[in-house]
Amino acid sequence: MRSSLAIETRNLGRVYKIRHGRKSEPKELVALKDVNLEVPRGEFFGLLGPNGAGKSTLIKILSTLLLPTSGVALVDGLDVTRDMVEIRRRISLVSGGENSGFGFLSVEENLWMFARFYGLDSRDARQRIHEMLEIVGLADRKHTRIGELSTGLRQKMTFVRGFIPDPNVIFLDEPTLGLDVAAARDIRAFVKDWIRRYPDRTILLTTHYMAEADELCDRLAIIDRGQVLACDTPANLKRSLQQDTIYLLRVAPPDSKPAPNGTLESVPGVRQVTVAAGDGYSELKLRLAGDDALGNVLSHVAAQGSTLLSLEKREPTLEDVFIHLVGRGLSEDAPPNGAQGSDE
Amino acid sequence: MNAEGRVYKATGIKLFWRMLLARAYPRFVSPIREKSWLFFETFLPLMATSAYVFVYKAVDAPPEFIGFVVIGGTMSAFWLNVLFGMAMQLYWDKEIGNLDAYILSPGPIMAILAGMALGGMVVAASRAVFVLVIASLAFQVTYTISSLPLLILVFLLTLLALYGMGMMFAAVYLAAGRDAWQINSLFQEPIYFISGFYFPVKTLGFWFAAAASIIPLTLGLDAMRQILFSGDPALGFLPVEVEILLLIVLSVVFLAVSQWALVTLERIGRRDGRIIERRR
Amino acid sequence: MRSSLAAFFSARNHRALRTFLTATWLGWRQEASWASAPVFALYLILRPLSSVLILVVMYSVITDGALEQPIFAYIYLGNALYILVGQLVGGISMAVVEDREHYQMMKQIHTAPINGYAYMLGRGIAKLLLGVISALVITGVGMLFFPLPLHPAAFDWPLLITSMAVGLTGIAALGVIIGALNMVIPRHIGSIGDAVAAALFLFTGAIFPLDVLPTWMQSIGFALPITYWLEASRRALLGPDAARFPTLAHFDDLALLQVLALGALGFVVVSIVVYRWAVYRAKANDLIDMDTSY
Repeated sequence: MRSSLAIETRNLGRVYKIRHGRKSEPKELVALKDVNLEVPRGEFFGLLGPNGAGKSTLIKILSTLLLPTSGVALVDGLDVTRDMVEIRRRISLVSGGENSGFGFLSVEENLWMFARFYGLDSRDARQRIHEMLEIVGLADRKHTRIGELSTGLRQKMTFVRGFIPDPNVIFLDEPTLGLDVAAARDIRAFVKDWIRRYPDRTILLTTHYMAEADELCDRLAIIDRGQVLACDTPANLKRSLQQDTIYLLRVAPPDSKPAPNGTLESVPGVRQVTVAAGDGYSELKLRLAGDDALGNVLSHVAAQGSTLLSLEKREPTLEDVFIHLVGRGLSEDAPPNGAQGSDE
Repeated sequence: MNAEGRVYKATGIKLFWRMLLARAYPRFVSPIREKSWLFFETFLPLMATSAYVFVYKAVDAPPEFIGFVVIGGTMSAFWLNVLFGMAMQLYWDKEIGNLDAYILSPGPIMAILAGMALGGMVVAASRAVFVLVIASLAFQVTYTISSLPLLILVFLLTLLALYGMGMMFAAVYLAAGRDAWQINSLFQEPIYFISGFYFPVKTLGFWFAAAASIIPLTLGLDAMRQILFSGDPALGFLPVEVEILLLIVLSVVFLAVSQWALVTLERIGRRDGRIIERRR
Repeated sequence: MRSSLAAFFSARNHRALRTFLTATWLGWRQEASWASAPVFALYLILRPLSSVLILVVMYSVITDGALEQPIFAYIYLGNALYILVGQLVGGISMAVVEDREHYQMMKQIHTAPINGYAYMLGRGIAKLLLGVISALVITGVGMLFFPLPLHPAAFDWPLLITSMAVGLTGIAALGVIIGALNMVIPRHIGSIGDAVAAALFLFTGAIFPLDVLPTWMQSIGFALPITYWLEASRRALLGPDAARFPTLAHFDDLALLQVLALGALGFVVVSIVVYRWAVYRAKANDLIDMDTSY
């Protein structure tokens, strides 16, 4: 019987053994720890996490490129450890920034070659290539050698490649990485349309872009240091913060340095503070227990000698959820820690 | 398309064959697309072969020795192709990011390697024919062929065993980093020497030649020269029939070892997380 | 005077010299990055030893082992010296391909305030040093196991040093020419520098006297400084034992050096022109960071 789950992991773990010198003892790095996920068929599922969180390790395991060191991972009901070949018939992997293919072959020839690797008939392959290229606006470049394509167009071609073998499950690992706004929008439109047209197919997306995850994904898992911290729909994740209020303050410190946020966190009612430096000002994002705490905050800012430039109350975003769970923004590196993934 | 509206995907032998031809395709078209390859891989080897011919001329060697060099130079096209276009190719594919696509495809990587071999053989053959024809005409080499079918058989078996060895190297180099390139280069001239590219291998003595027979070109060159210059006493380290038998054994062994090595490496690669990692 | 000297020595900071030294360091680090020292040692010795053994066997099988003939020393030493050509030309030209396609740092090199020509030269120096080791080992093997009439006390050292300095300059320039061509063509299956060096084996009288070649091919040999470098170096090493063949016998040592210097200078000039052309063409046709993806 066909499983109703496209992806399922149970206590999945992966430990890397890293040697720093030829003779040194290997050091263990935990990239994934007890990951439990259930992704039903037809779902657009997202993985959100900072660099080194373990996203790519998870995708590598699910796409049969890497073995887990503990636990179980099933794709389309098949075990990634045992049923490697059968899984490969049903999946595809697209990695952003990938540059594969032969420079002296045309776009169509490269895609045809990869389609044949999946066993497609030549005629089917050419038909699908034509259709897909039309959709992403590359049809007029069908006969261009890929060595002559810009990075963005080449990436679009690589992206299309993943869809040609008609996979049941497709893994999109940062697919819009490095693309300009228009190209990234084309890609997002393509995947939305694809999953709408084929509702029994599944997409697992990893991304750095919160807005992308928010726009595309039915459900999201937030992952950090190899562990899943939360897994829900974007709306539910945001709702989890609704008992808190989010304020955005711009302050100009007298000495043009950011305000000392360390002390701000000790102000009653302040749950979390993140600071971003602007040109002559600091932007403070505050998560407060309620509106009442704002008065304390403003008094504190004034006492520090800083000038308030602007104040804005905001609905919680996915980024706020992320900061709440991970303790830092997506662009900030994790502090050095042995339990951090090393795969990205 | 099948009844469920899904794309039909071949399996088994049909998939193997499709993968093989698909991977051979870039090899077939590359000399047409990048014409500079043709110059560097035809004229330059012809000059290198000629240099050895003139060494024999400088020491007044009998004319058949010039023929031996021409045959060695012709077959060097395949040897270089196996070294740099076959053994190194999976490593290069890893470097440019194609390897993960090969691995993720549902067919065996052996089909990819077989495709590289077929494409490589065809391209190297064009270079070999060029060297053979031009050098034979320029240096007026006379061939007395004892049996054309036997010659073709030996030639094909030599290629099978040689490319089988290339596949084995390709699998092994997959595990290596940049060292692969250097280790690979290590083989070029020593094999020219021990396999007797420019002189009859019999000159090196029976036991040396026997040890060198692990390289299919040693047996292949000796057998081909025996057929092409029949009756020359400098040739015939072993009878042609024995050399054919040994070439069959080598083909089977190399192909089996490469299959085993690929499976093993993929397993180790998946276990250690090094399967497609680029190491600069 | 003092200040001009100081200025000269402050040339350590000069762009070209700084580039050259850094590139030499990089090349050396790359060569020293071998995983296994024994494999590296094999690499240094086995390849050149094999190529010389091919010639020894070819020669022996025809002459029935008459190794004391001057032509044997001619062939043997020519082959040993030619290792330097292969290493220098192959090393410089291959570095371009490696930097572009393997390390993918061509963009960084061409946007850094460095002297690109000096960089290319420097990248090949480590290979030259390794070539010197190989050539010394092969020559040592020749003295120990074959009757090569080599006696260091009898070497014509001034001739040897001069021919090496001038000859290697010309050969390095040839390496830059091939390296520059590599900048505008895709990566080939093998190393083009090695292939060119192997092909020039034919014209330079490295392993057989030019007299053996047809006249039209001899004229190519006469146009290459490598031919005169090999002859001058052989004369410096073998002294009166050096085999003299009609083609170059009428050149005395000084004339040989003069022709060599002129040829080397010509190669240097051509290399500068070709290098500039290649950089221009690579930039005009967007080939600087080309990825052959073959």
